[in-house]
Amino acid sequence: MAEIWGEPAPQPLAGNGDDTYYLNMGPQHPSMHGVLRLLLHLRGEEILEAEPVIGYAHRAHEKMAENRNYLMFLPNSSRVDYLSGMIYNLAYCQAMERLLGIEVPERAEHIRVIVSELNRISSHLLWFGTFLLDLGGVTPFLYAFDDREEILTILERVTGSRLTYSYGRFGGVTQDVDALFVEQTLAFVARLRGRMPDYHALVSDNVIFRHRCEGVGLIDQATALRYGVTGPCLRACGVPYDLRRAEPYGIYSRFDFEVPTQPAGDIFARYLVRLAEMEQSCRIIEQAVAALPAGPIMPEKQKKRFKPEVGESYFAVESARGHFGIYIVSDGSELPLRLKLRTPSFANLSAVAAVLKGTMIADTVAILGSVDVVLPEVDR
Amino acid sequence: MSVLVRLLRGIWSLMLGLGVTLKNLFRRPVTQTYPHQKPELSAAFRSAIALVNFPASGSHDCVACMQCVNICPSFCIKVEGDKPEGLKRKRATVFEVDYALCSLCGLCIDVCPTNTLKYSKTYDDVGYRRDQFVYDLLTPFRAGEAAWRERARVAAVEAAQPASAGPAAAAGEPEVGR
Repeated sequence: MAEIWGEPAPQPLAGNGDDTYYLNMGPQHPSMHGVLRLLLHLRGEEILEAEPVIGYAHRAHEKMAENRNYLMFLPNSSRVDYLSGMIYNLAYCQAMERLLGIEVPERAEHIRVIVSELNRISSHLLWFGTFLLDLGGVTPFLYAFDDREEILTILERVTGSRLTYSYGRFGGVTQDVDALFVEQTLAFVARLRGRMPDYHALVSDNVIFRHRCEGVGLIDQATALRYGVTGPCLRACGVPYDLRRAEPYGIYSRFDFEVPTQPAGDIFARYLVRLAEMEQSCRIIEQAVAALPAGPIMPEKQKKRFKPEVGESYFAVESARGHFGIYIVSDGSELPLRLKLRTPSFANLSAVAAVLKGTMIADTVAILGSVDVVLPEVDR
Repeated sequence: MSVLVRLLRGIWSLMLGLGVTLKNLFRRPVTQTYPHQKPELSAAFRSAIALVNFPASGSHDCVACMQCVNICPSFCIKVEGDKPEGLKRKRATVFEVDYALCSLCGLCIDVCPTNTLKYSKTYDDVGYRRDQFVYDLLTPFRAGEAAWRERARVAAVEAAQPASAGPAAAAGEPEVGR
């Protein structure tokens, strides 16, 4: 980075003479989740400093928003974080609904909760698989992807796509769900519950996995709060903060679920929190399916052009990675004046850089993987 | 003692994991061997957009209103139209989609006033050049275009005889396969 920006080359840190070794990890590294370059300052195997160099997947989403009308930004929203595209897509719709003052029909609200939670489980399952792949375990990856495939099939039947869903519209959703969707969803929940003991037997109790994870990559509460870490990483430090509970949006206040936390703050704690969260998502899905009312999925009066009044709105949701916020400033025209995305991975990655200091290089991949950063979301 | 217990516990944990693997070893494979097995596409499956063939009129019903062109976030739709003789509505003469740019958001389909846009079901298009993905959506309709125009003109003239009415050709209730 230094050579690009014309900054002086990184100076060897005080006290280590000339034997500081600079290692570029990434941007094309098998265990980097996306295009992240970590510039590691090493003394032997010890990491003195880790500089994340980001921007390789920068697509200027925020700038793009300023050049197209509100509807035209819809496909962008699920491409910010492609692993929980549904949550992001619906978050943008909800932000716009707040700005425009649109009421969402009950049925659409319930469908949104079901598909969001399915998406959250699929994101966690993908994390579970790839994280263990980073640690050298190939088998859990295959099982996790088998389960994730079920979710993708369910969502594909309803939304038509498998990853970048443009499912939401301002005021509702595009397609209604049918009895088969409900049946498949409940079957999946039962299937995932049946799989959980296998996952625990295969991974959680595995002695090699435990040795690599316990007590490694500690993010303490103070660091987490200072860097604005959110999501499972924050809950793994013992802070029971979940936007679905702390600041309920949509109809989340109606559901009975727990916010799983772990006190330790290490890799294993983050792992346990995510696994527990999948179970909580299953509970929310079951309640939402049971309460799914009949009715319309879009408001009766549908507008084709959206011109919000002058003003601003901030809307935040709990994505699979943490606090995702959308801040929209409207000047009364058809284009947003400014659209700012607050993405959780950016804050979480900043904390990783701090946490990596003083750890061993062999743990880098495990620590980075456990935080679950999605690079397109960091760069946006 | 504790070392031995830990060692045995560790070995036992690995055995448990192997047990899971063993259980799955006797399950049927879940993979689909793609080129031999074709995936079953859902009704909502999204691929490149196509024009609906309305059985009532025997053709598409694009009126070249440009709404899809204007809403497209990828700017990948190109439409031109003319006004056929004797008709009140316009008619598309060019309808091209650059599928390489399309992000499959479905806004064009939402916005279409005559519901003449739908998703096609192709998923295995390949090509060596980018311009191979510029699809001309009017291709299936070219052969019948002259006949349609003639029918529409006649229908318009007939409709104009008793009282002034809209074009009859577009009046049939279409079946939209979405």
